[in-house]
Amino acid sequence: MRGLLAVLRTALADALARRGAFWAQIVMMVLNDLVLIAFWLIFFSRVDTVRGWDGQRVLVLFAVLATGAGLVLGLLSNCRRIPEAIVRGRLDETLTLPVRPLPHLLVSRVDTINLGDVVVGVSLFALVAHPTPSRVALFVIGTLLGAVVFASFLIIAGSLAFFVNRDEPAGLALHAVLLFSSYPVDIFTGPAKLLLYTVVPAAFVAAVPARLVEQPSAAGAGLILAVAAGFAVAAWAVFTLGLRRYSSGSVWTRAA
Amino acid sequence: MVVMSALPDSPTGPAIQARGLVRRFGSGPAAVEAVADLTVTVEQGERLAFIGPNGAGKSTSIKILTGILRPNAGHARVLGLVPWQERRQLARRIGTLFGQRSQLWFELTARQTFHMLAAIYGLDRGTQVRRVAELGELLDAADLFDAPVRTLSLGQRMRCELTACLLHEPQLLFLDEPTIGLDLLAKQRLRELLVQLNEVAGTTIFLTSHDVADIEHVADRVVVVNAGQVIYDDTVPALRRNLLSTKLIDVGLEHPAAPLSLPGVSVLDQGETTLRLAVDTTATSVREVLDAVLIGCAVSDISVTDPPLEQVISRIYQQPGTPAGAGP
Repeated sequence: MRGLLAVLRTALADALARRGAFWAQIVMMVLNDLVLIAFWLIFFSRVDTVRGWDGQRVLVLFAVLATGAGLVLGLLSNCRRIPEAIVRGRLDETLTLPVRPLPHLLVSRVDTINLGDVVVGVSLFALVAHPTPSRVALFVIGTLLGAVVFASFLIIAGSLAFFVNRDEPAGLALHAVLLFSSYPVDIFTGPAKLLLYTVVPAAFVAAVPARLVEQPSAAGAGLILAVAAGFAVAAWAVFTLGLRRYSSGSVWTRAA
Repeated sequence: MVVMSALPDSPTGPAIQARGLVRRFGSGPAAVEAVADLTVTVEQGERLAFIGPNGAGKSTSIKILTGILRPNAGHARVLGLVPWQERRQLARRIGTLFGQRSQLWFELTARQTFHMLAAIYGLDRGTQVRRVAELGELLDAADLFDAPVRTLSLGQRMRCELTACLLHEPQLLFLDEPTIGLDLLAKQRLRELLVQLNEVAGTTIFLTSHDVADIEHVADRVVVVNAGQVIYDDTVPALRRNLLSTKLIDVGLEHPAAPLSLPGVSVLDQGETTLRLAVDTTATSVREVLDAVLIGCAVSDISVTDPPLEQVISRIYQQPGTPAGAGP
């Protein structure tokens, strides 16, 4: 754990070393998110609810998604770069260190642009979600569990590169899960909805945690906890199995 | 099938013991066998040059021996550990330096990377400070540690890289093309440091390089691989001796020399007062040539030398069974 924290601290220091770029990226991401929030505000000024989701619930969903995805893509930035690292042989550097490769890889790069999402997500929740201690606690727990599902899904999708030696499918998976997570899951029906609760677990990234904040229940909390644990174990297993097939590459570079 | 227990686990045994290592990439008819039945033993404290033409399987072999890759077949123990099964334990005891790779963070100072590595290797604060100071002195690099890495020259960066990979006092050092891109002075300095490290700390050196001077100045033993197999294994002086059927004779003359006609002797260069001969010793011995020169010429100076090592190694690559024209 001391080693992981030291790597994360170093990755943060590396990101902060370009201080101008750091703040510019955060401001750009905040502006980008504000445009999306404005879209939902305009939409719900004309429509009361969409399949039971009103404006506030959707904004809470957006707050959960921005915070969770921002944490994963910001602090565990290599989540999205796993396939590239596999295909281009960039795990070599990690494998020469006395570390568990997956956690080390995840914390060894910080993307400041996605930390802007965290700023937006937390601020949005504070402004529109009528925070009380219990709602804040549910927001934190739900967001973190959603982030675990999101990160695990990216790791699983990325680790498929060990088996197919291609990095494009993981990129599609990232965009798909982000896109579907940003809408209230109940607007989807039938097989599409089933898909979002299983193969592409977008429902558990934002909608289910947001519902937990608005309608707390032990069953809801248990469900997302179990799903997060299941996905985390699956991610670990797929990466570990895949690593046995790792074929490296001819260029040696730092994984980040 | 990879069998783990086939080699003895002895902490006082060889630094590296590999037998029958095979590593294939791909499958079916398109599969490429990068390492084919590689067998090599490296004793502790040796300085080994592991050389071969591009695609010979050098880097793949190193990646197997450091635990990065799993072999398809064969056995190996490095410092008594099976690399691909006990990778993390092994990583605590070996260092890796790769000329085409950096483990330093470019926007940060080298000292910040050392701090991170110290935490990874579990070094306490006191040990970290002591090691960085020691290595800074040994590598004459202490004044480089607090500058952002991106501002350092390649030679300066390599000294910081070496510090990073020696921080945890590894017993065995793998170096893959460590002098690539360095200028002459930086190369010479790095070679001296590696020899010093070996002599002072007893660190085993496993070096790959295409630069013959690295081999001449660092290694005491050479293993040549081609097509994933060891095709030559001997000491550096023996490499010269055993593979040299050709000797070079440089003669200083008081007067121009008369033509010399001996089987297997060719004139490489002739001036008013100089003569350079190449002698195929399988046709005529050096002694016979020297006798003929001393009798037939007014000699002021004479020396017998080996051809450059590069030429010797090229000859090994071109032996039957190796790709024609492959060279270092």
